[in-house]
Amino acid sequence: MRRLRFTTWFLILAVAVFLGVFLLWPLAHVFARATRDQTGFTLSYLRNLFTNPIQIEAVGMSFLIAACVTVTCTVIAMPLAWLFARRAFAGKAVWSGLLLLPMILPPFVSAVGMKILFSRAGALSTLMMNLGLANGPVDWLGRFPLAGIVLLESLHLFPILYLNLVAALGNIDPSLEEAALNLGASPVRVFRRVTLPLALPGMFAGMVLIFVWSFTELGTPLVFGMRRVLPVMIYDSVSEIGTNPAGYAQVAFVLVISALGFWISKRLISRDRSVATLGRLSVGRKEVPLTRTGTWLATGFLVVVLGLAVLPHLSVILLSVSRRWFLTVLPQGWTLEFFGRALNSDLTREAVLNSLGLSLGATVIDLVLGFGIAWLCVRKRVFGGDWLDALSMLPLAVPGLVIAFGYMGCFSGAFPNTLLDPRFNPMILLAVSYSIRRLPYMVRAAHAGLEQVSTTYEEAASNLGASPFRVVWRVTLPLISANLLAGAILCFSFSMLEVSDSLILAQSERFYPITKAIYALIDSLENGVNVASALGVWAMLLLGAGLLWATALMGKRIGQMFRAG
Amino acid sequence: MPTPPAIEVCGVTKRFGTVTALDNVSFSVEPGELFFLLGPSGCGKTTLLRILAGLETPDTGTIRFKGRDVADLPPYERGAPMVFQNYALWPHLNVRDNVAFGLVERKVAKAEIGSRVDDALNRVGLSGYGTRMPGQLSGGQQQRVVLARALVLNPPVVLLDEPLSNLDAKLRVEMRAEIEALHSQSHITFVYVTHDQADALSLASRMAVINAGRVSAIGTPLDLYLRPPNAFCADFLGEANIIEGRGHKVDFAGTASYPAVAVERDPPRDEQSRTPSRLEGPVPPGPAGDRAESKVETAVGVWMVASQVAPGATLRCLVRPENLQPMGGPAEGFNTCEATITGIRMNGPTVTVALEAGGLMLRATLLTQQGAALRKGQQGLWGVAVANTVVLPQ
Repeated sequence: MRRLRFTTWFLILAVAVFLGVFLLWPLAHVFARATRDQTGFTLSYLRNLFTNPIQIEAVGMSFLIAACVTVTCTVIAMPLAWLFARRAFAGKAVWSGLLLLPMILPPFVSAVGMKILFSRAGALSTLMMNLGLANGPVDWLGRFPLAGIVLLESLHLFPILYLNLVAALGNIDPSLEEAALNLGASPVRVFRRVTLPLALPGMFAGMVLIFVWSFTELGTPLVFGMRRVLPVMIYDSVSEIGTNPAGYAQVAFVLVISALGFWISKRLISRDRSVATLGRLSVGRKEVPLTRTGTWLATGFLVVVLGLAVLPHLSVILLSVSRRWFLTVLPQGWTLEFFGRALNSDLTREAVLNSLGLSLGATVIDLVLGFGIAWLCVRKRVFGGDWLDALSMLPLAVPGLVIAFGYMGCFSGAFPNTLLDPRFNPMILLAVSYSIRRLPYMVRAAHAGLEQVSTTYEEAASNLGASPFRVVWRVTLPLISANLLAGAILCFSFSMLEVSDSLILAQSERFYPITKAIYALIDSLENGVNVASALGVWAMLLLGAGLLWATALMGKRIGQMFRAG
Repeated sequence: MPTPPAIEVCGVTKRFGTVTALDNVSFSVEPGELFFLLGPSGCGKTTLLRILAGLETPDTGTIRFKGRDVADLPPYERGAPMVFQNYALWPHLNVRDNVAFGLVERKVAKAEIGSRVDDALNRVGLSGYGTRMPGQLSGGQQQRVVLARALVLNPPVVLLDEPLSNLDAKLRVEMRAEIEALHSQSHITFVYVTHDQADALSLASRMAVINAGRVSAIGTPLDLYLRPPNAFCADFLGEANIIEGRGHKVDFAGTASYPAVAVERDPPRDEQSRTPSRLEGPVPPGPAGDRAESKVETAVGVWMVASQVAPGATLRCLVRPENLQPMGGPAEGFNTCEATITGIRMNGPTVTVALEAGGLMLRATLLTQQGAALRKGQQGLWGVAVANTVVLPQ
């Protein structure tokens, strides 16, 4: 017993130290620097955000982008969620898998494709000239950069809202709706007076999530060349991190906004749970089959949405297999050489190897930490376990931007020219930041696994002579291996395509992960865009396969991983 | 000194928050016994078993296995394998690996593990099932695997937690016989928890009846059924007519009864728990033993009982329904009363007759042939042998 208790305390201590050093300290550092000058405490840097015209513009633009993306996502996701939660139609299972596809590529890579489609020399402009609809080339993106950003981010993020909405609708006890029908309300009235009010908390929670994610998105505006947005301003201020505290103030502001957002969505979700379900669902839900016309309409809508979402990806793919796409509607000079070059040039080969190593490291860290935290919370119910759990969920509310900026500020100063100095060698910090960012998913996966596995299995093992370590090794771990594997796949796949941490932390080419290499290639000469696209396609394939594998392992519960609460 | 008991439980108390699950429980189990812990659900018997296995820690009290204090031993060092109510067969291991689990943990040589697992599966009639996964087995087969998993260790003690509760009626009877056979072949001490008195009465060497966290009685099934120490025990072990009465003022035989030998009705609480069984306490005579008889005033008339009762003392008498029968007329050695039949229920081999006598509702169980002529509304004389009119001491 004493050995067990020692292990438990050691585990708690290890987890607390890790999260303390790599999560809390950087955040505290950001806040400290944002609110201190030579004389002591000050709010002037923060106040500057709302008085300096450039800063006001950036803050305003960030809010505008986030608001537009949220609205667009809602418009897309609402009907989809209703369709998939309440109606049965041909091909539903396939469609519901395809709906996750837009998540697989970071929007800034799709942005490369978008630029080709809509730029002055791009496909749309050329098409319109060929058809005689325009007199000269039109730079659609230059004219509507905001629309491009909003569209790309919306098409990337709507699956998240969709998953949240399906869950919110699924949580409503069908008997509540049946009672309303029974008392004389028409289906439309039932939806307005019962379904919608009950689903609202979950819906808002999902919307807050989208808002926060698009508010902190760095890659897309960066590729579109929009400098006056908070995330990009933060990115630009990394170079003067030691001297200019303005960046710290911006980061602190972003952090406050996202933390607030996540707090709100968590509150909404917890209310959602207490209101919408009467304990156990009292009757099973039956899905109404769509009529033939309805099926056509639904399929049409899905084709349009997914088609739009896939369009940038498609253009990325086209870019990767062609030499020229300039002042033509379709690309020319078909070739597969870029796929080879994407893996062979020094920059990209190193980037792929870096990303593989970093993602593997992050996944291992997450497996150990995630299982440890879930085990402490679910099985040991240790004092402070709830705090550990809450702490491990905190990264959901902390954008990668903030963590990376915090690391630059903290570790460069505290451990100059060591392996913990990102300017010297960012590898350890990159792996750690990836793992911190994806820790919540792993904790949730392990948590769900442990709660499904009856403690009796472990008691039986202990009863038959297995020591606590042996119980975990021979019974607990094998029983939740599917959950851990799914969590690990998600960690790995998303780490491979982590954007903001990679862009900020990797400062020299030797340490570039895939995403930073893509970013560097976009602007390079000699078909850099094509190589970048080919690299993007490799990444797309990897992440897509990972998502499908994880979905197969977790089944319907995959949606829980992306829920707000 | 004789060999120490296989298990000694001494003054065990366990609270969960404000709920007292076990209250000063003591008993001991002799080596090789098939000992039952019997009680209604929620009485604390499973908690008691888990304390024996080391899965719960008692607040106070000691547990000894063969005289050795095991209170501080973690579950994996107790060596008392348990048969879990919901089987707890690991779904990721096949039958062989499930059975071999404990042997692997004990670092037994591979070859020996193989032969012992074969032997254990053979004993429970599952040889050839080794490569199946638990999910591919029926409930009864899973139950056998769990038994094999425990018995393969050849442990001094096996703990069984409601092992038959998930089986259907027919399988229960089969498994009951099988558990009895496994026990008698193995000389292992079994501690068996159940809420089913049929399991306990048919299998137990001895049993402890548990009520609300306390030991209500300890004894052999026969003793506890025939001469239960209290109304709870009488009622829980079978059907019971409880008739309240009062010691008759004037002794019929002229030998005055003295309070000193009176049956204690409400002894102080701690005394009650210290002498849980009348068989271990100041014992009134058994049915065939002492001739002492007393008269008791009851709602159905003045009855004789085969034990000494203080005049004026209130008491309760137990009459088992199978001992109550229709009488042609008063007879020597029988207590009788006039009763009206208020209902008849056929059970197959027996009929249960509901009677109303002197404002009391009584039940009688007759063989179906004997009860065939009886009709609802009939009045008549019913009686029970004095020897079967049992005074409940508590």
